[in-house]
Amino acid sequence: MSATNNTGRFRLASRAALFLIMILSAASAAASDHFAELRQNAAAIESIQADFTQKKLMKILSKPLVSEGRFAYAAPDSVRWEYLRPLQSVVLSHRGETRRFLAAGGKMVEDTSGGVKAMSIVLGEVSGWMQGRFEDNPSFTASIHRKQDQTFVILTPATESLGRMMRQIEIVLSRRDATIRSVRLVESADAETVIEFKNVRVNAELPAGLFQDVQ
Amino acid sequence: MKPLVVIVAVFMCLSCASLPKLDPAGGAFDCPAPFLTEKTRLIHAIEARVAGRVSSVIGVTLADPAERAMSVAIVGTEGLSLFEADSKNGEIAVKRALPPFDQHDFARGMMSDIELIFFAPQPVHRHQGLDEAGCRVCRYAAPKEGFTDVSEVEDGVYRIRRYSPGMALKREVTIRGDRGERFAQIDLQAYERVRYRLIMTLLEAETVSGAATK
Repeated sequence: MSATNNTGRFRLASRAALFLIMILSAASAAASDHFAELRQNAAAIESIQADFTQKKLMKILSKPLVSEGRFAYAAPDSVRWEYLRPLQSVVLSHRGETRRFLAAGGKMVEDTSGGVKAMSIVLGEVSGWMQGRFEDNPSFTASIHRKQDQTFVILTPATESLGRMMRQIEIVLSRRDATIRSVRLVESADAETVIEFKNVRVNAELPAGLFQDVQ
Repeated sequence: MKPLVVIVAVFMCLSCASLPKLDPAGGAFDCPAPFLTEKTRLIHAIEARVAGRVSSVIGVTLADPAERAMSVAIVGTEGLSLFEADSKNGEIAVKRALPPFDQHDFARGMMSDIELIFFAPQPVHRHQGLDEAGCRVCRYAAPKEGFTDVSEVEDGVYRIRRYSPGMALKREVTIRGDRGERFAQIDLQAYERVRYRLIMTLLEAETVSGAATK
């Protein structure tokens, strides 16, 4: 009786495992299709300009710390990430060169600290996202799901050390044109940053020098 | 070799300000006290100048003078939390520290600077007098910290100077009030082996009731 039961249990377990593998494979294939579709839609994007509101939430704060700024991107890898308030700063990334400027003593001065290198990496990631490339960075595991007219891409750190810095990145995209609508950076259970984009203009004409000039 | 050592030592002594003598004030006076008296949350834009380099961050301080406790967070312009720590009666608990804020003794140095700005000194001895400019100065002495001079140099402008137990100037803080906000502008100069300057501009300040605290 015991041997018969064990054989039956083994068969049941094998079928359940097979079923699970099939579901996961199907989900993985669907996710691959969704990522491929995102890349295809993003291929039509030559430039993006948007305003953004950034809300920093932390346990120490009674209300979110709000920053406002402007964002611009031109394919393949030019980015302007500019904060207007409360602190004024701008990061320019163009043809592989990244520079950061901040307001000090009433004028914009170049930041020569190590933070520029970190921003170069971040903006490289952002350029990839604009092109629908969410799976390229091996430091993160990317998953995707859809809800109504939005696509959600979840990036989870692949290493423990990176996980201590950032628990998760949640990117919300418009299903219509694959442009990013918001980014949520979860640092810990007590701290996260939400960046919401508005006045998004796709493929509009860009001012000359936008990715080289501070002003 | 010895003459070179002497020259360097003399140069170092000349480049350091030391504890000035206070002249008699001619009577007792109320000590200038720019310090917090209530639990307060302050958010400052901080411009840091270190070794010719400039960077900017946002500093959040939740300070309780009655408990001599504080929580501190440093947030990068781009929103990333760079440093978070709590401190009570000198005991520091670092909750998050990303480079370069993870360096040895950074937390202790920063908490000490914040305490110097916002909390009244805990003196063993207090002495009053006039400085070289004729400003009323209260000098607080404590064995570990050394000497802390507090003066009101102009109406609403306070200066705090911290000297080591060896009487060398280590910190100079200028606090400027504006539109009812006592900590509207803070300028801290640190005279260490690596000198630095912090220029802090107030973004928000609010008194925190007991129930709303962490």
